[in-house]
Amino acid sequence: MLGTVVIENLSKTYHTKQRKGLFKSIPRDVESLKGISLEVEEGEIFGLLGPNGAGKTTMIKILSTLLLPSSGSARLNGYDVVADDNAVRATVGCMLMGDRGLYWKLTGRENLIYFGALYHYSPADRKRRAQEIIDMLELGDLADRSVETYSSGQKMKLAFGKSLINDAPLLILDEPTNTLDVPSASELRAIVRQKNQQEGKTIIYTTHIMAEAETLCDRVAIIDYGQLLAIGRVPELKASLGREHITRIAGVIPSKAVEAVKALPAVSQATLGSVDGVAELTVMSHNGADTLARLIEVLGQIGATIQKITPQDVTLEDVFIAKTGRTLAENTAVETGAKK
Amino acid sequence: MTAISLPARKPGKASPATLVSATFATVRARLLIVSRYKGQLFNEILTPIVLAAMPILLGRATAGDRAAEVFLANTGTANYVGFMLIGSATFVIVSNAFWHIANWLRWEMETGTLESIYLTPTHRVFVAAGTGIYSTSRSTVGAFVAYLIGSAIMGINPFQGDLLIAFLFILCGLIPLFGMTLFYGALVLKLKEANAMLNLMQWVVNFLMGVFFPITVMPAAAQLVAKLFPPTWMTNGVRSAMLGVGYFFGEWYLDLAVLWFFMLAAPMLGIWAFKKIENSVRRNEGVGQF
Repeated sequence: MLGTVVIENLSKTYHTKQRKGLFKSIPRDVESLKGISLEVEEGEIFGLLGPNGAGKTTMIKILSTLLLPSSGSARLNGYDVVADDNAVRATVGCMLMGDRGLYWKLTGRENLIYFGALYHYSPADRKRRAQEIIDMLELGDLADRSVETYSSGQKMKLAFGKSLINDAPLLILDEPTNTLDVPSASELRAIVRQKNQQEGKTIIYTTHIMAEAETLCDRVAIIDYGQLLAIGRVPELKASLGREHITRIAGVIPSKAVEAVKALPAVSQATLGSVDGVAELTVMSHNGADTLARLIEVLGQIGATIQKITPQDVTLEDVFIAKTGRTLAENTAVETGAKK
Repeated sequence: MTAISLPARKPGKASPATLVSATFATVRARLLIVSRYKGQLFNEILTPIVLAAMPILLGRATAGDRAAEVFLANTGTANYVGFMLIGSATFVIVSNAFWHIANWLRWEMETGTLESIYLTPTHRVFVAAGTGIYSTSRSTVGAFVAYLIGSAIMGINPFQGDLLIAFLFILCGLIPLFGMTLFYGALVLKLKEANAMLNLMQWVVNFLMGVFFPITVMPAAAQLVAKLFPPTWMTNGVRSAMLGVGYFFGEWYLDLAVLWFFMLAAPMLGIWAFKKIENSVRRNEGVGQF
C-alpha cells in the first residue's frame, strides 16, 4: 500500500470568469482534467509529461491535497486525498513550486527545522532531521546563511531537501529541474535516482523536458488537454511507433510546409519547431527512404531552403508528437480554456 | 543515519502537545524573520506616541488650560493624556493583529510558502494561531514601551489605578481578537486582497474602539455596534481600571464576563469561517493563486 498511487476517473473543472471590460464578466467553466485513471506502483519513478496547461499541475495539486477534485478519486499510500487528506500530507513529500516554497529571510537550517515542526517532529528530532538532510545534500556550507543569498540551484536543492523532511515513501516532484543550469539539473536527477534506488521511494516526477523523462523514469504518462493520451514504459511507448521513420529537416522552412508535407500519403505526422534559432521540421512517415525524395521535392516547391536532413531514432518527444500532433514547446493553456 | 520515528498513530493525527509545539515553532519563525528587518521595533514604539500626541495637542490648542476640566466633564477623568495614550496603545495592538494576519496570508500566497504550509499535516488554524501569538506579543510589548515613553514625554504617571485588572482586560481581549483576525484572514484568503480592506478596517476599528473619545459620546445606534466589537470592551476596561472612566456595566467583573463570552464566541466563529472559506478555495482555484 505504501508508495502506491491509485487514480480513478479524476476530473477537475475550474469555475472562472471571462472578463469583458470594467464591469462585465461571463461565468466560464474550464475543464482541466477529464476523467484520468492510472496507477503508480511502489518503488517506481513515474513521469508525468505534458506541455504547460496540459493539466499536470492540476493533477499534482489534487494529489498533494492543495485542490479538491470535482469528481473521481485518488489514493496515495492507501489514503484518500479528500477523506484522509492529513494522512496523505503526512506520508507524501512534495516539491511543487521550486524555490518559491521557502522562507528567504530564514536560513536553510531554520527552514528545515520549522517545516519539521509542521510535520509534528519533536524539537530534538526536527533539529536532527534537518542536520541529516543538510549532510545528505551537502548543504553544510550554506545551512546557516539566509536563503536569499543562495543561487537558484542551491535554493532548488534546499527545496528538494524540504520535501524529504517527513522521510515519506512517496515523493511528488513538480518540474524540480526548472530554472536549473545543466550541471545542477544533472546533480538533482542523480539524487532523485539515488533516493529511488537506495531507499525504494516511489517518485512522481513531472517535467516538460522529454530527455529528462527518458533517462530518469521507469514509466511515463502523457497528458494533454486534461486527458491521458498514453501510459507505459519508455521503450514500450517508443516501440509503439515501431514502423514509423523520423526525419528531421533543418533550414529556412516556411510554416505552410507542415500542411504541404502532411498531404503526402506516407506521412503520418509533421511539426515545425526551432533548434538554436534554426527551423526544424520533424516528419513521421511509414516508409522513410521512399518518402524522402517526395519531401525534398515538396519543400522545394514551397520555397524552403534545406540545410540538413537527419534520419533519427524514435525519441519520447516523437511519441509525444505522434500522440498530440504538437511539440512540447507549444502551450496548451489557452486552448484548454477555449475547449469547454 | 539516525532513525527517527514518526508518532505511532494514524499519519497526520497529532497530539495536542505536538500542535502547541508547531504553533510556537511558528511564533519563533515569525520572530526570526522580523528580527532580520531592522528598525521594525522602533517603528512599533513610535507609532502609538505619535498617534496619541495629535489629539492631545489638538485638545490643548482648542481648550487651553481648561482641557482637563472639559475632558473630565465628558469622560469621567481629567487625565486626557493617559486616556489618549491608552487608546492609541490598544489600537496599535488591535490594528497590528489585523495587519499581521492579513499580511501573513497575502505575503505567503505571493512567496509560495502558503502552499508549503498547506502541504504539511498541521492545520493552518494552528499556524495562524502562531502568527496571532507572535503579533500580539510583539505589539503588546511595543505598545507598553510606547505607553511608558509617551507618559514620560507628556509628564503623567504611567502606573495609576488597578494595574492587575487592566492587565486582565488586555489578556482577555487578545483571544477574541485572534478569532476576529481569523475571520478577517478568511476574507483575505477568498478575495486575495489585503491592502484596501486593511485601510478601511483601520478607520472602522479606530472609530468603534473609541481610540480618542469615549464611545458614550457616539449616537446610540453607533454605541450598540461598538459594543459588539470586543476591543471596545478591552480599551474601556483598561481605561476604567487605570483612570476610572467607568465600566459599561458598572463593575469590572461584569465587563470582563462580556469579554469572556467573546473569548469563546469569536475564535469559534473565526475558525468556522476560516475552514469554510479554505474549503471553498480548495474546491476552486486553490490557495496558491493570487
